[in-house]
Amino acid sequence: MGNADLRSLAAIADVSFDDVSGVVAVDAHNWLYRYLTTTVKFTSDRVYTTAGGDEVANLVGIVQGLPKFFEHGLTPVFVFDGGVTELKDAEVSERRARREKAEERRQAAEERGDAVEAARLEARTQRLTSVIHETSRGLLDRLDVPIVEAPAEGEAQCAYMNRVGDVDYSGSEDYDTLLFGGPYTLRQLTSSGDPELMDLNATLDEHDITYEQLVDIGMLCGTDFNEGVPGIGPKTALKEVKEHGDLFGVLDARDAHIDFADRIRELFFDPPTTDDYDVDTDLSPDVDAARAYVTDEWEVPAGEVDRGFDRIEEALTQTGLDDWT
Amino acid sequence: MFKAIVSASTLRDALDSVSVLVDECKLRLEEDELAIRAVDPANVGMVDLALEAAAFESYEADGGVIGVNLNRLEDIVGMANSGDLVQLELDEETRKLHIQIEELSYTLALIDPDSIREEPDIPDLDLPAEIVLEGAQIGRGITAADMVSDHIRLRVDTDAEAFFIEAEGDTDDVDLKLERDDLIDLQSGPADSLFSLDYLKDMNKAIPSDAEVRVELGEEFPVKLHYEFGEGMGQVTYMLAPRIQSD
Repeated sequence: MGNADLRSLAAIADVSFDDVSGVVAVDAHNWLYRYLTTTVKFTSDRVYTTAGGDEVANLVGIVQGLPKFFEHGLTPVFVFDGGVTELKDAEVSERRARREKAEERRQAAEERGDAVEAARLEARTQRLTSVIHETSRGLLDRLDVPIVEAPAEGEAQCAYMNRVGDVDYSGSEDYDTLLFGGPYTLRQLTSSGDPELMDLNATLDEHDITYEQLVDIGMLCGTDFNEGVPGIGPKTALKEVKEHGDLFGVLDARDAHIDFADRIRELFFDPPTTDDYDVDTDLSPDVDAARAYVTDEWEVPAGEVDRGFDRIEEALTQTGLDDWT
Repeated sequence: MFKAIVSASTLRDALDSVSVLVDECKLRLEEDELAIRAVDPANVGMVDLALEAAAFESYEADGGVIGVNLNRLEDIVGMANSGDLVQLELDEETRKLHIQIEELSYTLALIDPDSIREEPDIPDLDLPAEIVLEGAQIGRGITAADMVSDHIRLRVDTDAEAFFIEAEGDTDDVDLKLERDDLIDLQSGPADSLFSLDYLKDMNKAIPSDAEVRVELGEEFPVKLHYEFGEGMGQVTYMLAPRIQSD
């Protein structure tokens, strides 16, 4: 993953929640994953496990994470990943291998009686089960939060919706929205402090490059879809792309090779996206139904989610004076 | 250019009415009045204040705008005794405000007005009901409502010709019924809205209990609360956005 590399090139500014408003297309998998890991780490598994053995830590996570949007006048739209893009198979199998390895170490830690290490590793092995998929949608539906089903990469769909102007920001902790051409990305939406705003055009201006060149730099450093060229970091990639014009110029000059380079580039420039979505931001949530869904149907103790639901209710029932201007 | 002398109590009343909503604001130093308009960060409550030149012992201004930290300014003015006069003078060179209270002088650094949240547009409201009553009457309703709930319902019953302040708690309820005879004036019309007590409590703190308060109300619309201070030469209008009524 080229995350650290991209970060060093991206124009990122700390912003205050007061300065941002509008609609943010959130990469649901990425967002949920963060809340799953923290919930699993800090909460007893009895809280989020039903009598039938289904784990629904996601419900606790969603109720914790949503108030932040509403309290700051942001409407989230959750974009779920579709099928895995074929080229990403290598990445997926690598993740799976990492997870299996973590699982082995977790069992070893558990046997040693190292509870902290076991919990930490358990978080890493957490994946989105079909129950998590189903219940996340079920809860968001009751709160009338829009859901979009991406044909493939959620981040690509977020970036697309931002580019065509249907949303004001993408929301992701990763940096790939930049390579997918998303103009504005809000980061750290799952952290406790203020968010970061990543600006595509400011990034391009700062380095005096085109969007296509940014993708080429990303690919030289390595992306979800390809290994980078050994020995090339962001500074070198930037310098050489500017010198040779594009990815292929750099590869020729170095006599290097990236598998499927053409196709991967196209995937960033023109990823599978859909126009089949409806971003209705005038939410009419049924908070009581949402509470009942989480606490009765999925057996999460009310005490775990009461505060979060109260905050959601409070934020969504208070109107603003700007509704009348 | 700005140079003014004003009684400490008048200035305090003016600042208090704004500081319940925001920490910093712009002062518009018009030729004929000092004006402040501010909205809280959540865009729920707004204050629109004007203090006429006549409310000052002396007043000279030419339309400039300065930004102030309200808490700081309130603290300084709080140093004055009630009968004291406060002298204010803007130093254009250093962009600081000189404040003189008796023998105490204070130089207040100003805030760049551009860094302060923009002054809001005033909502365009045509509210069907108007209730005029004493500050103490509203205060009583708000204090009682606060004992049972976070929200307060204000409504006019057009048949009964009465103004109701109500709150519904988990177990306890509060009802304050003010009939036409209990009020200074009532212009009856369909009005029923729910508001956050957090905001209303704060606004109520600034409203003098003997002030005549004009309440303009609609159905699920913002409420306007208007009162005067400084012997009628200062005017404050609060606006508060409603909560959505669920049932």
